[in-house]
Amino acid sequence: MLKITNLKATINEKLILKGLDLNIKPGEVHAIMGPNGSGKSTLANVLSGKNGYEIEGEISFNGMDLNDLKIEERAQKGIFLAFQYPLEIPGVNTNNFLRTSLNSVRKARGEKELDTLTFLKLIKEKAKELNIDEKFLSRQLNVGFSGGEKKKNEILQMKLLEPKLSILDETDSGLDIDALRIVADGVNSYKNKENAFLIITHYQRLLDYIKPDFIHVLSAGKIIKTGNADLGEQLEKTGYANLS
Amino acid sequence: MKNQDLNINKEYKYGFTTDIESIRAPKGLNEDTIKFISNIKKEPKWMLDWRLTAYNRLQSLKEPNWQKPKYPKINYQDLYYYSAPKSASEKPKSLEEIDPKILETYKKLGIPLVEQQRLNGIAVDAVFDSVSVATTFKDELTKKGIIFCSISEAIQKHPDLVKKYLGSVIPLSDHYFATLNSAVFTDGSFVYIPPNTRCPMELSTYFRINASETGQFERTLIIADKGSYVSYLEGCTAPMRDENQLHAANVELIALDDAEIKYSTVQNWYPGDKNGVGGIYNFVTKRGACRGKNSKISWTQVETGSAITWKYPSCILQGDNSVGEFYSIAITNNYQKADTGTKMIHLGKNTKSKIISKGISAGNADNTYRGLVDINKKATNSRNYTQCDSLLMGNKCGAHTVPYIKNKNSTSTIEHEATTTKINEEQLYYCNQRGLDQEEAVSLIVNGFCKEVLQQLPMEFAVEAQKLVAISLEGSVG
Amino acid sequence: MKQNYDFDIEKIKNLSQEEKISRKKNLDLFYKSGFPSKQVEDWKFTDLNLILNKNFDNISNEVNFESSKDFKAIENFEHNFIFLTNGKIISTNFDHEEKSKILIKDFNQEEVKNINPSNALALLNSALSSGGFSLEITKDYKLKKPLIVYNCFSQDLKNKILNNKNSIKLNEGSELTLIDYSDNNTQNNFIKNTVDTISLNKNAVLKNILIQNSKSNGHFYKYIKSSLESGSSYENYILSSGLKLNKIEIEINLNKDNSSCSIYSALNLLGDQHQEIKTRINHNSPNCKSYQKIKNVLNDKSKGIYQGKIFVEKVAQKTDAYQLSKALIVSDNAEFDAKPELEIYADDVKCSHGSTSGSIDSDAVHYLMTRGISKQEAVKLLINGFLNEVLEKITNNELKIFLEKILERQINGH
Repeated sequence: MLKITNLKATINEKLILKGLDLNIKPGEVHAIMGPNGSGKSTLANVLSGKNGYEIEGEISFNGMDLNDLKIEERAQKGIFLAFQYPLEIPGVNTNNFLRTSLNSVRKARGEKELDTLTFLKLIKEKAKELNIDEKFLSRQLNVGFSGGEKKKNEILQMKLLEPKLSILDETDSGLDIDALRIVADGVNSYKNKENAFLIITHYQRLLDYIKPDFIHVLSAGKIIKTGNADLGEQLEKTGYANLS
Repeated sequence: MKNQDLNINKEYKYGFTTDIESIRAPKGLNEDTIKFISNIKKEPKWMLDWRLTAYNRLQSLKEPNWQKPKYPKINYQDLYYYSAPKSASEKPKSLEEIDPKILETYKKLGIPLVEQQRLNGIAVDAVFDSVSVATTFKDELTKKGIIFCSISEAIQKHPDLVKKYLGSVIPLSDHYFATLNSAVFTDGSFVYIPPNTRCPMELSTYFRINASETGQFERTLIIADKGSYVSYLEGCTAPMRDENQLHAANVELIALDDAEIKYSTVQNWYPGDKNGVGGIYNFVTKRGACRGKNSKISWTQVETGSAITWKYPSCILQGDNSVGEFYSIAITNNYQKADTGTKMIHLGKNTKSKIISKGISAGNADNTYRGLVDINKKATNSRNYTQCDSLLMGNKCGAHTVPYIKNKNSTSTIEHEATTTKINEEQLYYCNQRGLDQEEAVSLIVNGFCKEVLQQLPMEFAVEAQKLVAISLEGSVG
Repeated sequence: MKQNYDFDIEKIKNLSQEEKISRKKNLDLFYKSGFPSKQVEDWKFTDLNLILNKNFDNISNEVNFESSKDFKAIENFEHNFIFLTNGKIISTNFDHEEKSKILIKDFNQEEVKNINPSNALALLNSALSSGGFSLEITKDYKLKKPLIVYNCFSQDLKNKILNNKNSIKLNEGSELTLIDYSDNNTQNNFIKNTVDTISLNKNAVLKNILIQNSKSNGHFYKYIKSSLESGSSYENYILSSGLKLNKIEIEINLNKDNSSCSIYSALNLLGDQHQEIKTRINHNSPNCKSYQKIKNVLNDKSKGIYQGKIFVEKVAQKTDAYQLSKALIVSDNAEFDAKPELEIYADDVKCSHGSTSGSIDSDAVHYLMTRGISKQEAVKLLINGFLNEVLEKITNNELKIFLEKILERQINGH
C-alpha cells in the first residue's frame, strides 16, 4: 500500500529525514517510536503533504507517486493524519466542517454527496461509538475542547472518512487512561484487512491497546531497528540510548 | 524614622544647582548664535553650512501641535542656546583639569568620573549644559578601535564618519524640534563600533542641565558596523527651577549587517513641583535605522521625570530579517504629562518588531501611548506584536492609547493588545495583610506591572530604575 | 484648490427665507474646508477629497424625488417596511403592528440643529439636506417584526450628492429591530451623505442592522449619533460590503447608568472597495458597557479601515469597554489600517482593545486540506467562519438565518 524508498526531507535548510525506507501492506499496523527530534512528526507531515519541505526519494501509495499529489488529493485518496495538536478553528462549526470534508472525499471517490439529514444521522451514530457528546458537534471546531476531546474528534473524523492509511501522530499524548481506551477501541473497531495504520508514539502505552505488527525505531532521521511487538517492551526498559 | 526617610525621598533628589562661571552665547535664535556655537567649537565649514541649512529650513516649519500635552508658547528668542562651564572652554586634557565643582556635581549624582572610582566598568561621557566635560575609559576602548567621544570631538577627528551618517536617519528638516536641534546642537556623544567587535563595557552618557534659561540640544550618533554589538545607557537630571526648560535632543542609531544596538534611557529630568510649576520640556527625537540584514535595535526607556515628555524612539527596519524592539515605562504624577511611544516601519523582508509599553498615571497627570506600526508591501513575512498596558491611580489622571496600525501585506501579521485598569485592590489588600504599608505595596505591585520592561535594563540601571519607579509614585495613593 | 462641486441651496424646494439663511451659514462653513483630505485626522485613512476628485465631475445637489414606486420586498421574511427613494418616503407598511404605536413622517428639516461643526460632511448635510424620515415608537411598545428601511435610488444620480437626515426615537421600554437595507444596483457613481439621530429612552432596545444588497458604485457616508438613557440597549450590525466607498461613523453617548451598546461588523471587501468604520463611544455615566467586534476580509485591491475610540469620563466608574478588530488580508494588494484608541479619565474601569491583521492561518488551511477539502474551499470555509462569528449573539433565529444568508451572499461577491 505504502512504499517509501530512501526518503529525505529538508526544512529551513535542515535535513531531518536522512534516507528512510518503509513498506506498509494492507491489514498491517506499524508503529514508529523514537526520541524527540528524531523526525517522527516530520514523517507524518511529509506523508500528508504539508508545505515547506523539500523532498527527495520515492513515496508510492497504491501505485501513485504521492509527491505529485496535493494535500487534499492525498486525503481524498485515503491518507488520514490524526494531528498531534489538532487545530482550533474559531467560527467554523464542527458539523459543517465534517460534512464539507466527508462530501469532498465522497465526491472524489465517485460517491454521492450526503444531504444534511443523512449526514446528521451518520455523524450522531459515529459520535456515540466514541462517547462524544452531540453538543460538541454544534460547537466551533476544537475551540475550547480539552486535549482528550480534540483527540477523540480526530478519531471521529478518521472513522467518518474511512481512510486506507491512518497516521496517528502521538495521538496518545495528553490522554487519560479512559480516553486512551476509547481512542484505542475506535482504532481497533475500524481496523480490517483492507486498511493500514502508522502509529507514531513516544511510549509503549498506546501499543498495549493497539497491537502493532511491526515496530520501527527512528533515530536521527533513519530507521535504525525494526522488530515485532516485543521491541516496544524492550525499549520501555532500556530506552533509546542503548540502540544506536 | 521611616516617615522621615520618605519625606526626604519625596523631594527631587537631583534638584541642586552648581555655582560655576559659564560662557554663554547671546540670547536668541539667529544666524549669529549658530555661528557663535560653530566658532567656539572650532567646527569645519561644512558643519557650519549644515547648521545654517537647518536654520533656513526651520523658518518654513511650524511647531507641531497634534500631541495631547499642550504647553505655553515657547519664546525661542528668549533662550540661551549655548552655555558652557568657563573652565571647559579649553577642553581639559585629563580628568585632573576638570573644574572640581563639576566633578563634585557628578559625584552627587552618583556618576564618578575619576576612573579609580570606576563604576563596574561603565565608560561615561558627561555632558554638562551644552558641552561634554569628560569621557572615561577612552584608552581601553581605543585599543579595540572603538570610538567613544563627544560629538564635537568626532566632528574634528572623524569627519568622514560624521559626514556620512549625521542626519542620515533623522533628515535635516524632519520636523520642527529635530530641525532646531540640527541648527543649534551643542554637544552629545559619538560612538563607532568597528566590524565584528563586541563593545566590552556599557557606554553611558550622563546629561545635566545646570544653567537657567538655557535650552539643551544634544546630539547623539551611534554607528554599529557589521557584526558588532554595543549597549548604551543614557541618564538625565536637572536642578529645580520655577521656569520651564527646553530639552530637544536628537539621537540617531545606525546598525549595519548583523549588528546590534541596545539603547537604554533612564530619564529623570526635573518634573516640576507638586503644583506643576517648573520642570523640563523633554521634546526628543530618537530614531534608529536597521540598515543591514539581520541587524537589531532595541530601545528601553524609563521615563519618570520632565514636566512634559514627548518622544517616540523609532526603528526603521530596512534590512531583511532585522529586528526592532521598544520597551517603555512612562510614569506621570502630579501635573506631569507624557506623550510617548514608538514607530516601527517595516521595509525589509522577514522583519520583526515588538512593543511593550507600560504607562502609569497618578495625581493630575496625563499619560498617552502613541505609536505606529507600518508594514509595507515589500516587507513580506513580517511580524509585529504590541502590548500596551495602562495603570490609573486615582480619578484625576488620564490614560490614553493611540496606536496607528497599517498592514499592506498578506503574509505579515500585526497583533496589538491594550488594557487600562486601576491598581488591583485585592493585591494591595493582600500586601497590606502581609504587613506592607500602602506605599511599599504600591511600589511592589507597580514594579511587578513594569517587570517585563525593567528586565531589559542592564543590571546597574535596573536597580536605580526600580527605586525611581517607587519614588515617582510616592504620595499618589492615599 | 480645484473645486469639484457646484452646490446650490436654491435647488432645494419649499424653503423658508429663514431656513435658507441658516443653510447658507452651514454651506459657507463647509466651503472653508471643502471635502476632507487625509490631512484631517478623522480622514487620515480615507482621503475623501482625492477619491471624489478621481471619480466625480462637478458634483451637484440637484435631486429629483419623483420616481418609480415599485420595489421588490424581501420574501420569506416577515417584516414591516419603509420604502424610500433617494431618501424620501414613498410608502410604509406596518401591517404586523398596532399602527397607533408607531409615528412615521417626513423628516422636519426645520428641526435641524448643527450636529458637529468640526465635521465637514455633517455641515454639508445641514446645508443641503432634503430627504429623510422621522420614526417614533411609543412607550412600552415592542415591535413584533423587524422593520426594513428600503433605500432605493433613481437612475439619474450620476455625479449627484444626496443629503438625507433621519431620526429614530424609542420611548421608554419600547423595542425595535431596524434593518437599513440599501437596494442599489445602479452603476452610477453618486454620493450619499446621511445623518441619523437616534435616541433611546429608559430601557428601550434598538437593534440597528446595516445591509448593502449588491455591488455598487455608490460613495456613501453615514454619520449616526445616538444617545442612550439608563438601562437602554443599542446594538449595531454592519454588513455593508459591496460599495465602492463606504464610511460609517457612529457616535454613541452612554448618557445614563446601565446603558449598553455594541457594534458588530463583518465585511468582505473585493475589487477596489474601500470601507471605513469609525466609532466613538462616550462613556458619560457609571456602570455602562460597550462592546465592539469588527471583522474585515480584504481581497484584491481593497482597503479596510477601523478607527475606534473609547472615551471614559471621570464620573464613568465601573465602565466595561471592549474593542476588537480583526482583519484577514487575502491579497497582496489589499490593506488594513486601524487606529483603536482609548482615552480614559476614570480609574475603576475595565477597558481593553485588541487588533490583529494578517494572513489566513496556513495551518488551518492545511488541516482542512488533510481532510480532503480543496484549498479554495478551505479558504472560503475559514472566511465564512471568521465573519459569521459576529452573528453569534443574535438570539432571534429567523433574523439570524436571514443575516447568515446576506453574509453568505457577500462572501460570494453578491
